[in-house]
Amino acid sequence: MNLAASSFGAAVSIGALTAIIGALATARSRSTLVGIGTATTGVAALLAGGAALTGESFSLAAPGLLPLSGVSLTLDALGALFVAVTGGVAVACGVYGVSYARHGLDSRLVQAVFPLFVVAMLLVPVASSVGTLLVFWELMALTSLLLVLAEHRRRPAVASAARWYAVMTHLGFVTILSGLLVFAAHAPGDDFAALREAEVSPSVAALVFLLTLAGFASKAGILPLHAWLPRAHPEAPSHVSALMSAAMVNLGVYGIVRVGFDLLGGGPRWWWLLVLALGAVSAVYGILQAAMSTDLKRLLGFSTTENLGLVLIGVGAAGLFAAFGDRVLSGLALAAALLHVLNHAAFKSLLFLAAGSVLHATGTRDLDELGGLRAGMPVTTAAFGWGALAASALPPGTAFVSEWLLLQALIHGLPADGGADAIVMPVAVAAVALTAGLAVATFVKAFGVGFLAKPRGEAAARAHESPPTMLAGMGLAGLACAVLALAPTLVLPAVGAASGVALGGEASAVTGTVTIRLAGVAGSLSPLMITLGLLVAAVVSLGVLRAVAARRARRTARLWDCGGGPLSARMEYTATSFAEPLQRVFDDVLAPEQDVDVDHFEESRYLVRAVAYRRAVPDRVERRLYQPVLAAVAAWGRAGTRLATGSVHRYLGYGFYTLCGLLILLAVTR
Amino acid sequence: MNETLFTQLVDLTAGAMLLTAVLILWRRELAVIVRVFALQGLALAGLVAVLAAHEDSGELWAIAVGIGVLRAGVLPYLLRRALAVAARRETAPLVNVAASLLAAAVLMMLAYVVSAPLVSLAPSPATRAIPVGVAVVLIGFFVLVTRRRALSQVVGFLLLDNGITAVGFLTTAGIDLAVEIGVSLDVLLAVLVLQLLTTRMREAFGDTDLDGLRELRD
Repeated sequence: MNLAASSFGAAVSIGALTAIIGALATARSRSTLVGIGTATTGVAALLAGGAALTGESFSLAAPGLLPLSGVSLTLDALGALFVAVTGGVAVACGVYGVSYARHGLDSRLVQAVFPLFVVAMLLVPVASSVGTLLVFWELMALTSLLLVLAEHRRRPAVASAARWYAVMTHLGFVTILSGLLVFAAHAPGDDFAALREAEVSPSVAALVFLLTLAGFASKAGILPLHAWLPRAHPEAPSHVSALMSAAMVNLGVYGIVRVGFDLLGGGPRWWWLLVLALGAVSAVYGILQAAMSTDLKRLLGFSTTENLGLVLIGVGAAGLFAAFGDRVLSGLALAAALLHVLNHAAFKSLLFLAAGSVLHATGTRDLDELGGLRAGMPVTTAAFGWGALAASALPPGTAFVSEWLLLQALIHGLPADGGADAIVMPVAVAAVALTAGLAVATFVKAFGVGFLAKPRGEAAARAHESPPTMLAGMGLAGLACAVLALAPTLVLPAVGAASGVALGGEASAVTGTVTIRLAGVAGSLSPLMITLGLLVAAVVSLGVLRAVAARRARRTARLWDCGGGPLSARMEYTATSFAEPLQRVFDDVLAPEQDVDVDHFEESRYLVRAVAYRRAVPDRVERRLYQPVLAAVAAWGRAGTRLATGSVHRYLGYGFYTLCGLLILLAVTR
Repeated sequence: MNETLFTQLVDLTAGAMLLTAVLILWRRELAVIVRVFALQGLALAGLVAVLAAHEDSGELWAIAVGIGVLRAGVLPYLLRRALAVAARRETAPLVNVAASLLAAAVLMMLAYVVSAPLVSLAPSPATRAIPVGVAVVLIGFFVLVTRRRALSQVVGFLLLDNGITAVGFLTTAGIDLAVEIGVSLDVLLAVLVLQLLTTRMREAFGDTDLDGLRELRD
C-alpha cells in the first residue's frame, strides 16, 4: 500500500469518524472536535493528492459494497489535483470552523454533515465507475443542501435559496445520470476503463457530452444554469460557502474534463466551441453582476461564476486545439485552466472566510452599510485585501499567473486555422481581458467601500476582530495564495501531470523553476521577479516622495468639504454609487430598474422635501429564461388540480382504470 | 400426494378464493363481508398448504399456518372490532350489485386473457390457477374503487393482497420466508392504521362515508 492509498484511506476514515463525533459529542466540544477532524481529513487528502500527482496511484474495487454496481475507486493525477484542492480548502475551513461554528451552527446535524460533505467531495474525483460517481455526486449534493439549510430558522431567505439549489442540483443530477447511463449502455461495462474502450457513434457521443455538460455546468455555476449559485452561496454559513465555492464547483469542471477528454477522448470542434462560448459568456456576465452587487457574499458568488467561466474558456480552448491536433497549445490551455481552478480555490476560500468574519462581527453582508472595518478588524481587512488583489488578476496576485497562461494559449492559437477559429480566439481574448478589467473594478469596490473609509452603519462602527482560529483559517488560505502567486512553478508540474492524464500523457506544457517558460511557444513570465520589482518600485517611490515631502513645510488642514460641515459617512461612495458608471456603460446588458421619487413640500413645487432612489439589477438571464419555465410549470400544476377533486374514490379509480387499460392494451396488442 | 388429487385440491382452493371474492362483491352486510373474507383467508392458507404438501417443504407449511392465522384469524378479528363501532350495511355503493357482478365477470375474462402467457411459460396445475389469483386482485381493486364504507374498502385492499399472495405462490411455489413475513407484517400494520383511522373518522364526522372527506383537500 503506497502513500497515496494509505493517506486517502486515512482521509476518508477520519472524515467519517469526525462525522460520528459530530453527531455524538457534547455541545461544548463539538465544533472544536469537528473542526480539528475536518482539518486533519484535509491534510490527509492533501498528502494523498500530492503523492498521486507525483506518480503514485491506486485502485480499489469493492463489488459488494453497493448493490447493483459496487464501488470502484481509482486515484490518478487528474482526480488527485481535485482531491488536493478539496483537501487544502477543507484544512482552512476546518480550522476556521472551530470558532465560527460556535455561533448557532453547532447543532448535531450541521456538525455531523460538514465532514461528510468534505468526504463526499474527496470521493467524487476518485470514483472510477458510473455507479460510484453518481452515488458520491448525490451524496455531495445532499450534504451540501443540508449545510445550506443550516441557518433556516434565522432567515427566511435561506429556505428559498435551498429550494432553488435542491431543484437545480437534482435536475443537474438527472441529466448527468441519463448521459452516463446512455454512455454505459453503449459500452461493455460501467467502469471508466470500459467506457474508454467503448466504440460509440458520433451522435451518441454528442448526446452523452451535451447531457453531462448540462449537469456539470450547472454544478459549476455556468450560465444559463447558474441561478442557484448567487442564492445558495450567500445564504450558507460562510465556511460552507467557502467549501462550496472553492471546492464543490470545481468538480463540475472535473466532470467536463473527465467525460469530455478522458472518457470520450476529445470530440468534434463544435463541442469545445460550445464550452468556450459558455465560459466566455459566464465570465463576462458573472463579473458584471458581481460589479453591480451590493451584497458581499452575493458578489463573491457571482465572481465564482466568472472564474469558472474563465476555467471553461481554457477547457474549451484546449479541446479546440486538440481537435486541430495542436497538442502543445491544448496542453498549455488545459494547464492554464487547471491552474486557475487551483488559484480560484485559494483566493475564493480566503475571500469567503474573510466575508464570514465580517458577517460574524457586524451581522450584515450589505456593503452599503459596512465601511471603516479597517480600524476594528485589521487582520480581516488585510486578508480580504490580499484576496481581492489575488482575485483581480493583477500581479502579484494569484489569478494573474493563470490568466496570463490562458491569454498566452489563446493568443498563440490565433493563426492556427481559418474559419470559426479565427473569429473565436480574438473574441475569447477580448472576453478574458474585459473580465479581468471588470474584476479589478469589482474588487476595488468590495474592498474600498466595505473595509476602508468611514463606517456607514452602527454595526460596522462596532466591529471587532474575530477569534484566533478564524484568523488562522484565513491565514492558511492567504498563505496558499502567496505560494501560488510567487512560486507557481512548484505546482505547475502537478498541473501538467493532471492535464497529461486528460489529453493522453505528454510532457508538461510549462517548464522553469523561477521563470515560467512555455514549452513549444515563445513566452516566459517570472512572478517572483515581478513581485520583487513591484516591491522595489513601491519602496523607491515612497522613499522619494517622503524625501521630497520632507523638504517642504507641512501644514495640517481639514479636507475641503464645499463648506458643508465636517465630512460624514453620508458623503462617501457607497457600493451602489461606485458601480453606477459601470451600470450606465452596460445599461443594455444589465437592464437595471431605477426609480426616483421626488417629494415636494406642500407650499412650493420648487422646494424638495425628500428624494428617494431605488435601484435593482435583476438577473436578466434568469428573468428571461427561468420565469417562463416556472410560469409554465405553475400553470401545469394548476391544471393538475382539476384532476384532484379530493374524492378518494376518484383517486383509486385512476389507478384501477389505468391498470385495466394497460392490461387490455397488453391483451389486444400481444 | 398424487397428481390428480393435487390438481383437484388446487382447483378447489383457488375456486373457493374466487367464489368468496365474488360473494364479497355481492353481499352488503358488513358483518357477512368480514366473515366471507375470513373464509377466503382460509382458502388461501389451504392453497399454500396444498402446495406445501406437494413440494414436501416444511417452510411452506409454516407459511401456510402463518397465513391462516393472520388472514383467517387476526385480520377478521380486527375488522370485526372496527365493525362494532361502525355502520352495519354498505349503503349505496357507487356501482350497484348487479352491475358489480357483471363487471366482475368482465374482470375475470381480462384476468384469463392477460395471464395466458404466464401459464404457457410453464404449464402445470399450479400455474393454471394463476388467472384466479389475478382475478381476485382485480376484483379487490374494484371493491376498493366502488365501495363507500371505509371498512369495505379495507376489505377490498386485503382482497387485493390475498390475490397478490396467491399469484406469488402459484408462480414461484415458494416466496422466501423472510419476504412473506415482511409482506404480512406490512398488511397487518396497514390494517391497524386503517382501523385506527376509521374509528377516528367516525368520531370526527359521525360517518365513514369516504365521499364526505372531499372538503379536506388542500
